Amino acid sequence: MIHVHELTKHYPDLRRGQFEALKGISFHARPGQIFGLLGPNGAGKTTALRILSTVLRPSGGSATVNGFDVVTQSTQVRRQIGYMSASTAVYDRMTGWEMVEYFGRLHGIPRKELSERMESLFERLKMNDTRDVLGAKMSTGMKQKVSVARAVVHDPPVLIFDEATSGLDVLVARALLETVAELRDHGKCIVYSTHIMREAEKLCDRIAILHRGTVLTEGTLEEVRERHGQHDLEELFFQLISQHDQQSLEHFLSR
Amino acid sequence: MKLANVKLIFTREVRDQLRDRRTLFVIAVLPLLLYPLLGMSLFQISQFMHVRPARVLVVGGRDLGISPALIEEERFAASLFSHPKEAERLKPFFQASQHVGQPPPAVAGDPAQPRAAVLQEEWDEARSLVQAGAYEAALYFPSDFSARLEEFREAIILRREAFAAGKAVDGAFSPDVPQPKIFYNSGNEKSLIASVRLTEVLRRWTQRIGDENLKAGGFSVRTARPFTVDTDDVASRKSREGVKWSCILPVLLLLWALTGAFYPAVDLCAGEKERGTLETLLSSPAGRGEIVLGKLLTIMLFSIITAVLNLVSIGATGWIVLSRLPGFGLPPPVALVSLAIALLPMAALFSALCLALAALARSTREGQYYLMPLLLLTMPLVVLPMSPGVELNLGNSLIPVTGVALILRSMLEGEYWRALQFAPVVAAVTLAVCLMSIRWAVDQFNRESVLFRESERFDVGLWLRHLLRDRRPTPTVGAAVCCCVLVLLIYFYLGSFFDVPKSFGGFARTLIITQIAVFIVPTLLLTFLLTTSPRQTLLLKWPSWFAIPAAALLAVALHPAVHLLQLLVQRLYPVSENLRPSLEQIQGLINQSNFWSLVLLIAVVPAVCEELACRGFILSGFRHLGHKWRAIIYSSLLFGLAHGILQQSLLASLIGVVIAYIAVQSGSILPGMVFHAVHNTLAIANTRITPEVFDQWPIAKAFATPGDGGGCTFTWPVVVGGTLVGLLLLSLFARIPCPKSPEESLEEAIERGQHADKPLEAEKAACGLATDR
Repeated sequence: MIHVHELTKHYPDLRRGQFEALKGISFHARPGQIFGLLGPNGAGKTTALRILSTVLRPSGGSATVNGFDVVTQSTQVRRQIGYMSASTAVYDRMTGWEMVEYFGRLHGIPRKELSERMESLFERLKMNDTRDVLGAKMSTGMKQKVSVARAVVHDPPVLIFDEATSGLDVLVARALLETVAELRDHGKCIVYSTHIMREAEKLCDRIAILHRGTVLTEGTLEEVRERHGQHDLEELFFQLISQHDQQSLEHFLSR
Repeated sequence: MKLANVKLIFTREVRDQLRDRRTLFVIAVLPLLLYPLLGMSLFQISQFMHVRPARVLVVGGRDLGISPALIEEERFAASLFSHPKEAERLKPFFQASQHVGQPPPAVAGDPAQPRAAVLQEEWDEARSLVQAGAYEAALYFPSDFSARLEEFREAIILRREAFAAGKAVDGAFSPDVPQPKIFYNSGNEKSLIASVRLTEVLRRWTQRIGDENLKAGGFSVRTARPFTVDTDDVASRKSREGVKWSCILPVLLLLWALTGAFYPAVDLCAGEKERGTLETLLSSPAGRGEIVLGKLLTIMLFSIITAVLNLVSIGATGWIVLSRLPGFGLPPPVALVSLAIALLPMAALFSALCLALAALARSTREGQYYLMPLLLLTMPLVVLPMSPGVELNLGNSLIPVTGVALILRSMLEGEYWRALQFAPVVAAVTLAVCLMSIRWAVDQFNRESVLFRESERFDVGLWLRHLLRDRRPTPTVGAAVCCCVLVLLIYFYLGSFFDVPKSFGGFARTLIITQIAVFIVPTLLLTFLLTTSPRQTLLLKWPSWFAIPAAALLAVALHPAVHLLQLLVQRLYPVSENLRPSLEQIQGLINQSNFWSLVLLIAVVPAVCEELACRGFILSGFRHLGHKWRAIIYSSLLFGLAHGILQQSLLASLIGVVIAYIAVQSGSILPGMVFHAVHNTLAIANTRITPEVFDQWPIAKAFATPGDGGGCTFTWPVVVGGTLVGLLLLSLFARIPCPKSPEESLEEAIERGQHADKPLEAEKAACGLATDR
């Protein structure tokens, strides 16, 4: 469903020249699975997901979503995905209902069908209390629910969540994780980025650990644990990152 | 482009703006309250307003004893003003001259020096009193003014009597009447006004004294003024009132259209970035073009509403307040309709400009900083057309915004036919600028560095290091723009250093220095500083075998059509009278010079210098825009602008398009240089053709006729035939598989991909990926 091959992205940077946010990452995500993209802050997770959602263009390599290329067929890709970014915000001067309806209509869903779908979605996500509340007056939890509803209202085959639980309290975060798991059970291909290991352990079928723009390891949780001989994911995460930083330092000193 | 998405985005944005109190205040509440409040304030303030009379120090002028009197009852005589009440505007304060009754002061160096010193002292005192602001003006009468004037009049009478008695009369009047002097301070507006009024009073007084003198000499007053000129204002009352509105309404309308566009634009772009909702919108199926159009229509709507509400409010206030003032009536209804029609393209233009600017801003606060530069750029275009010297003609109608303002002025002044005559030109220019602005706005929405720009401290040292360290084989778009700015700046400043050359040597020196300083220096400097491959940047490579002869032939084939266009441009835009002598002087030098020296100087040198800059560095930089034709047009516009004179610029821009196309298709600078050199050589050769040539070879008349101002004009079959051959040659260039920049290849792949339903990975991989431009 999602194929990422040798994807690179660099930004012009006054101090460092070209800053390489992604250094040729590759992974695959399949339908009915949650693919976890794990990494510390600044690892390149958001950049990778922005490329998949066609908001950014890659500098090299390729990525396809449901067979469509993210660069040359960006419009088709956007029809296949529901994207919830880390900085997801809602419109201050629109109600929850209006916002979800707006994005549903941008996806070309007929008005009547959209209305029925939204009734069911608002019921399922328990967000009838946000129906007539303006974005400016919503709590963080309400905003997050509206963002999820907006991302799934057109029933896309691929869902991209970028640190969806950041800033949420335990109750709302748990409800959101349950919703994501539910969506996986409905056969969606989900890419979920996080730096919280417990979330990944609980939710993801496959993971990739990303650090400084490089995929350090990739596979199912069992495969990764077995490959590196470490059962605890958090320990494994520290171990891989420390090794990578050590190697980078040695490489730098040897030059 | 899906119009349904545009409509959806438009509807959402309008609803969003209508729920924003700040926008509603600026757009609806402010205009509806502002003008009535201003009107009421004007009424209130007018009660306390009164004209303070200007204080005039009159030295030695209280009792001049001259008929007619200048001073009556301690005031300037009321009969010397156009309206007796105006006499109250000048209040005299009298001071006696120390010289009264004394002989006239002598000139410096005479034994009478002490008296001259006293006179100077009195002048200095009057001057310092005016300078200090104690008086708005001072009027100084020399001590012997009355006596000399009386002697003058007596001499007239004596002459009359002598003439009557048949006696001989001396040739001259003696002595001359000394001059009174007005002191004023032009740095003080009140003083300036006082001096104007005082000068007018003295002019009338002098005229009346002259009338008295004529009478004393036995002549009728009509001797000096045998007739008076009568004037008759044929304008209707409505038309006179329209003139006053024509100065106010277009300016207000255009300024409010701009202001009405700016605030929603900032909120819709920078505000959306700030709130973090833009990323969500960009990942929806709506294309960038659809998003821009939806936002643009919203901004346009609010721009129009703001301008209309302002007009309605001004109209209502004007109806109540201004129509009571003399000379102010209601604006003509036709003019109001024309204002409404003109509002549409102006709102579109301002909205597109504001949208593109607002897209650059990271936050609403930063966006608001951009308002002032935009206003500073737009204000002269809006305000200057309102001055009486600026007329609606073809040249002015080509200037964006100014053309619309001039059409509006013509409509308000009742010149409907003239306005209609130029309306198509103005509409075409406005539409072109609108489309360019919209294109710019869409480009901003495609640029990652603009959409996801994060705050970073700007450091000049770091930036310079970045420029040198991160060089690419060819220049960036920014480097190309920098080169354009440098070329134009050097051209502008260098132009002020050189006078019009008087000899061929001077002409040659000026031209070579200009070409090197304007084109070669910035181009080579930037090429070696900012790129890693001068060869690739300046297109220094051999083209395919046929490109060079084809370019030379193309210049020959297009010459008749280009020459015809040149004549057309000269007829449409005659050279100004100020510029004509300089151009004629240069043309004279050219006509007297050796042909081959001229070819070297006017054809070869510019062909090398200008091509390296325009089709080398600048075109290479603009190729990174991702659109071949945009690069061609932008580089050609610079080529045109660098020619300085409007008449030359228009034609140079057109020829620039042809040369840039040749350079792009052949991938080499050489065919363009050859075209340029041949084109300029033919232009020189044409000026050398005299009517005698046609007498010598009568067959030449089948192809051309002697031109009015020298040279020859080609016949229509030659023009058409040449153009067809030219098009054929250009089609040959079109068949060359031209080298593309990575960005152009990517844009083509995207264009194909957007219309395909299956993956296009192979094509994308082949073209290579371009990052943010």
